[in-house]
Amino acid sequence: MLLNFDRLGGWKWILLGITGLTSAFLILPIVFIAALSFGSSQWLIFPPPGWTLKWYAMFFADPRWLEAAGTSFYIAAIVTVLSVLIGLVASFGLVHGRFIGKEGLRALFLTPMILPVVVLAVALYAFFLRIGLNGTVTGFVIAHLVVALPFSILSITNALEGFDKSIEDAAVLCGASPLEAKLRITLPSISHGLFSAAVFSFLTSWDEVVLAIFMASPTLQTLPVKIWATLRQDLTPVIAAASTLLIVVTIALMLLVALLRKGLKS
Amino acid sequence: MSFLQIRALRKDYGIVTAVRDVNLTVERGEFMTFLGPSGSGKSTTLYILAGFENPTAGDILLDGESLISTPSHKRNIGMVFQRYTLFPHLSVGENIAFPLKVRRLPKAEIDAKVKKMLKLVRLEGFEDRKPAQMSGGQQQRVALARALAYDPPVLLMDEPLSALDKKLREEIQHEIRRIHQETEVTILYVTHDQEEALRLSDRIAVFSRGVIDQIGTGPELYANPATRFVAEFVGDSDFVDCRILSAQNGRADISIGSSLTIRGVPMHGGGAAGGMAALMLRPERLSLARGSVGEGTANLAATVTDIAFLGSNIHVAAAAETGEALSVRLPFGHEAASSLARGDMVSLGFDPASAHVFSA
Repeated sequence: MLLNFDRLGGWKWILLGITGLTSAFLILPIVFIAALSFGSSQWLIFPPPGWTLKWYAMFFADPRWLEAAGTSFYIAAIVTVLSVLIGLVASFGLVHGRFIGKEGLRALFLTPMILPVVVLAVALYAFFLRIGLNGTVTGFVIAHLVVALPFSILSITNALEGFDKSIEDAAVLCGASPLEAKLRITLPSISHGLFSAAVFSFLTSWDEVVLAIFMASPTLQTLPVKIWATLRQDLTPVIAAASTLLIVVTIALMLLVALLRKGLKS
Repeated sequence: MSFLQIRALRKDYGIVTAVRDVNLTVERGEFMTFLGPSGSGKSTTLYILAGFENPTAGDILLDGESLISTPSHKRNIGMVFQRYTLFPHLSVGENIAFPLKVRRLPKAEIDAKVKKMLKLVRLEGFEDRKPAQMSGGQQQRVALARALAYDPPVLLMDEPLSALDKKLREEIQHEIRRIHQETEVTILYVTHDQEEALRLSDRIAVFSRGVIDQIGTGPELYANPATRFVAEFVGDSDFVDCRILSAQNGRADISIGSSLTIRGVPMHGGGAAGGMAALMLRPERLSLARGSVGEGTANLAATVTDIAFLGSNIHVAAAAETGEALSVRLPFGHEAASSLARGDMVSLGFDPASAHVFSA
């Protein structure tokens, strides 16, 4: 390597410093909100004058918070299943299919990643208004599916491209029908891609707020929508507790992915 | 009735014709190799046999019945691929058991068969290994065991050794020969490596541009190549431009340059008197001497351009008077070779009956 870290001398410390500052910049807000959620002051004073689990108790005692968390989980779970299934079928077409316009179609599938979410939200809102899907679970699922699918398709096409199609052909010649070969040989071989697709789809839906605000009704709210709505009324530390729980689920899932990746490599 | 018949097989991809007109019969238990350069149609023919490609025209008969309308997974054909195709998430034993499980055989029978196949490819004790823990050569042996586990009537092999290094390749070639003898399975083997084809096969079909140029045993192809392409592809060869003086009964009288006339050379491809042609010589059939080689043989004058010692052989490169580059292979200890130097004028002699003329 041209730049050897051990031979950088004094520069080493400057680089370490920049790395430290960048990490702090990224992580401090999360540490801050987590600290506040355990703080005893109800005015969100930092540093907290004392420590308490009161806000968590209030979160779990309030059915509206629990309902919002449940809704979030329910919608994210449906989005995950649909996103992986549709993503899988689409990926088979995109990787193994032979048709004109394949590359164009692949690019089209990824456009929700670059399209401003708010534009998508307004469009979906206007459309769902006509067909009466606003404020329904179906509406939520469709909206989140649009933004989750690109992640799913990206990870599954990636895994499929790393999988040699000859292996599936070999299974077919062994006597397995094309479907059986896909189920028994191809799917287990790309399971890491399916797993990433599932986690990213879940997380996309789990902490999505823009689309959710448009889709939500007073009776159907996801956790991010509930946090946002509560924030506008009063500044209670329960929000910090809810946010911390939201982040914990996210971090736990990311850690799981990282651990599984490591396990696969070794 | 022949065991396997390929009739007038053709495969077009849009305007490109991969297989033009392939006709072939293979006997039960035969080891038949498809030899040819890439793009000659040999692999496409094999893939049509496997059912991964549909032919544009033509038919394949196995034991008298057409295979074309049978889907791949019902053809009961074994195949070893060029790339490693073991199922990565299954152990070696499970890989070999896979075709048997798909066929819903009883467990005891499957276990016995897996043991037998591992013994056949000499990998006893490897049942529980994962493919990633094995060398390329071992993986291809497991692939062979898996392809033979269900006793297929035909085994297809698509350049299975091309990813291995030379020494390992030779070792597994011996294994394949032994397994062919033990199982008596009919093998269709694709390769672009002439040495591999000669070492393994009962018969070789030489593919060129979508057709089979010639089918025969190794010695037949070497001694009597039907086309210039076969002559070039099987064994080493020298070519010298010549003109046909007269042609009759498959033999031609030819002239080289302005002075040399050679009579009675076997001719292929029907040239007419006065036409241009190529004289083909095998490097090891040429004799070398200073001055004239002697009566009864034809002589080509040439200048030595390079000498290389290759162990049992001495390889002499020479330029003919008419300009063609020739190579001559002499046995170690050859008298004239010991004192030979670059730039020496030599005479290369050959027996006209062992040479060939291919009309241009």
